[in-house]
Amino acid sequence: MSQVTNASKITTDLLPQKFGTGGRIWTGILVALCLLGLYGYYRQVTLGLVVTNMRDYASWGIYISNFVFFVAISLVGSLITAIFRLASVEWRTPLTRISEIIAVSAILFASIIIIVDMGRPERFTHLFLYARLQSPIMWDVIVITTYLTISVLFLYFPLLPDLPILIKNSKDGSARQKFYKFIGSFWKGTDAQFRISENALRIISVMIIPVALAIHTVTSWLFATTYRPGWDSTNFGAYFVSGAFLVGAGGVVVAMYVFRKAYHLEAYITEKHFNNMSKIVVLLALVYLYFNINEYLVPAFKMKKAEEHHLQSLATGDFARLFWSAIFMSMIVPVVVLLFPKGRKPFPAFLMGIVVVVGSWFKRYIIVTPTMLSPFLPMYDVPESYKHYFPSWEEWAITTGSLAGTLLIITIFTRLFPIIPIHETIEEMEHTKQEKV
Amino acid sequence: MKQIKHSIGLIATALCLIPLLGQAQDKPAKGIIKIDLTYHQLNNDLPIIKVSAKTKKEKKFQPVEGVEINLFFNGETSQGFMGRVKTNSNGAGSLSMPTRFKNQWDSLYSLKFIGTLIQNDSFEDQSTELEISKAKIELTLEDIDSARTIHAKVLAFQDTGWVAQPETEIKLVVRRLMSDLAATEEETFTTDKNGEASAEFGLTIPGDAQGNIVIGAKIDDHEMFGSLVSTTAAKWGVPLDPDDSFAKSFAKRTLWATRDKTPLWLLIFPNLIIVTVWGIIFYLVYQINRIKKLGRTNDV
Repeated sequence: MSQVTNASKITTDLLPQKFGTGGRIWTGILVALCLLGLYGYYRQVTLGLVVTNMRDYASWGIYISNFVFFVAISLVGSLITAIFRLASVEWRTPLTRISEIIAVSAILFASIIIIVDMGRPERFTHLFLYARLQSPIMWDVIVITTYLTISVLFLYFPLLPDLPILIKNSKDGSARQKFYKFIGSFWKGTDAQFRISENALRIISVMIIPVALAIHTVTSWLFATTYRPGWDSTNFGAYFVSGAFLVGAGGVVVAMYVFRKAYHLEAYITEKHFNNMSKIVVLLALVYLYFNINEYLVPAFKMKKAEEHHLQSLATGDFARLFWSAIFMSMIVPVVVLLFPKGRKPFPAFLMGIVVVVGSWFKRYIIVTPTMLSPFLPMYDVPESYKHYFPSWEEWAITTGSLAGTLLIITIFTRLFPIIPIHETIEEMEHTKQEKV
Repeated sequence: MKQIKHSIGLIATALCLIPLLGQAQDKPAKGIIKIDLTYHQLNNDLPIIKVSAKTKKEKKFQPVEGVEINLFFNGETSQGFMGRVKTNSNGAGSLSMPTRFKNQWDSLYSLKFIGTLIQNDSFEDQSTELEISKAKIELTLEDIDSARTIHAKVLAFQDTGWVAQPETEIKLVVRRLMSDLAATEEETFTTDKNGEASAEFGLTIPGDAQGNIVIGAKIDDHEMFGSLVSTTAAKWGVPLDPDDSFAKSFAKRTLWATRDKTPLWLLIFPNLIIVTVWGIIFYLVYQINRIKKLGRTNDV
């Protein structure tokens, strides 16, 4: 950042740019995947959940795994924006908006994918009309709605000072300028407005942390409040939260690298950012590894009959490849690579970010499905297909479509808004200058 | 030129035929299927014919799923066609005898059932027969001075009418939800020269709210008669005191009650949190409005 000492250069560098050929191809692929997902969902709605491979035992499958993944990755918003803000971490500025848009888009699709999992989506309103506070599903509905609202506010408040810059730099009378004016023409940058905005951001920073912890703890309770092998744990809240921080941090590292390359932001997202974020990933991976050892070693030591089937399916059975991939990819390999300074350079860190995110997605699948296929009462006199689960093409299409949808929101956002806050970056630059003087 | 075109045509035709020829050559040999029929009759109703299909794989019999077995009564004719049974994952299926055969079934004393499998892609054609002598069990219950006795009589239908069947093995049971419970100390009885078997009922078991239980007499897999069951209800059980404690608990504030019976702690604390957090969210939205107003004032 030290090279950039000119406000107009910062503005030019950080203003949203038109898509090049690569950007258009990328957006086209995402739209195509979303359309394929929509077609899969159309088939599911018209033909029923029978088009999925979920049956009596594996009644939670890839949709719930994906839901947990989305909730997990959304937690990064509170980590980077709130925790770093409260801890006065100076290098956070270029990462705040990246993490907040990841949080908003992920939590939005978490809400959508839970509706997809419903056999009768038109009954979605029943969740509110006939809400029972005794049900953990209701807690999840409440906490997701709350977190989504707070995350949108957390994205919006810091965006306000950038809006006059965007209005000024967009074509007069264009639809885009009208949109910018609609959401922020009232921002004049007065002291009173800054005071209110700063105060609001402080409130959100404090409030979003317990809400973010609650969202993932409540999601873990959806599992832990049922008596099943692999889920019957008092440790589940902390285990889920630590895993969520890890995948979120991994996701930010990936996004940092992609935006840095695509928009030539090397002067803003520096090697220092990769170095620091990599260290955070190592810390979070070790914490998550600790919880994993607890979650699997203690039941394995006791080896109760029902747990035995579950643990064997993970360690040596049907899910062994996925299980060990998840453990190595999301925890062990990143720790080993990122411990070395060379591993914390942008490209290796980016690769490790991808490994963490993919491994974490596997991990969510491993948390949901093997338990469903290890019931306390043995599966007896049921068709062979009930004893196994592998998603149907409709399930894969919908899941891929939802992942593509999340990336599409982020892509469209970066086309409309600066992915690094312009005003805050200029202010920081001026502050550094004054300090030097 | 014409010759070249002919040659190309011939090569193309040959290329198209090669996969077909290959397919014909590669077609695996059809397997041998074993079909078994069994006869089941309850309370002198029209019988049920159960089918099982197996095949030998790696020196073991494995059930065959999804094959369609045609069932015939007294001859493999269109008039005798009872229906088609598709086997399930256990290789089993069943068919109740259609009512159009009732008169025929009433008048005959020897019954013949035929099961056939034809034109199946995986198995050779197969046919099996089951011959049954029509029989029935007459069940009577006696309750004199608290001494409860079960009487069962086995009769076979012959050209002279219903004839008692001595030396037939029979079980006296109480029919429960999952299986039959022996109603007497002895597991099985053999009918006497009058075709009868009797035993004292001494069980104390729960019945329904009125004490009704279902008493039965049955013959299992008899080589001539098949499986026969005769049942009758009697108030020989202990009347069940309905356990409504679970239903009563729904009236209380519990975690499993309806939403209007949510436990108070679960109403108060989460709602306090919800109101507090959403109160702050509304305050933040109000702050946006304040910023808006300040902006407009600044414009003026």
